Amino acid sequence: MADGVDNSEQWREDFPVRWDVDHYLTRRELAKFLTLGSALLVGATGAIAAIGRFGFQEIRARQWIASAAALQPSGSLLFRYPTSDDPCILVRTAAGELKAYSQVCTHLSCAVRHVPDKDEFFCPCHRGFFAVADGRPLAGPPTRRLPRILLEERDGDVYAVGVEV
Amino acid sequence: METRQQGAVLFSGILVLIGTLVIIQLWLLTAALEALLARDAGVLLPATLSSLVLFLINAGLLWYVVSFDRRVRRDEGRGVE
Ligand code: FES
Repeated sequence: MADGVDNSEQWREDFPVRWDVDHYLTRRELAKFLTLGSALLVGATGAIAAIGRFGFQEIRARQWIASAAALQPSGSLLFRYPTSDDPCILVRTAAGELKAYSQVCTHLSCAVRHVPDKDEFFCPCHRGFFAVADGRPLAGPPTRRLPRILLEERDGDVYAVGVEV
Repeated sequence: METRQQGAVLFSGILVLIGTLVIIQLWLLTAALEALLARDAGVLLPATLSSLVLFLINAGLLWYVVSFDRRVRRDEGRGVE
């Protein structure tokens, strides 16, 4: 042993790669790995864009909800549209206008309730509020408006004819 | 003549660049997902194109790394791996 270093060749056999060479190789390989990850991220973002471009089909099925006379001003009723898994709420405002929205809160999917005296929807889970006039969030955690159900009144009946998301 | 010591230092810098761009791509991905859930289709294409540009920059940097590596091997007259 000289200079504190064992010059017998045994350790060289156990650790045959020099530090600088080791750093060189690991950094080169990491650069390849990260670039592969970069390609995958482009693919994932592109897939999301494709879903956004081709996946949003506007729902346009026609469904009877109720007779228009069944709702008094500031009254509301629940229905399901476009499938039985999609709860919605139909409201007649104090001014007599009919409005309908998905009942699913855009924060974490609790069911919103109508607050008749304020013409607002209230989500009890985290105290979120939405405007009945256009479904936009007024207070609390929600940041996106409620999907609007398009309505049609014909011969005293109210029909849902589409969802505007 | 390029050496592996030079390469290790150079690659560190390149890795910082690539890593930064990948993090920006991750941010773009989450922004695109958020826009998809908000039904805001206008953001999706710009996000994808930006991500593609960042990937092309990354690919260019990797191409430089690979060509540097080739020169090192050629100068040494042998491959390490
Ligand atoms: S789920 Fe409606 S406010 Fe959180």
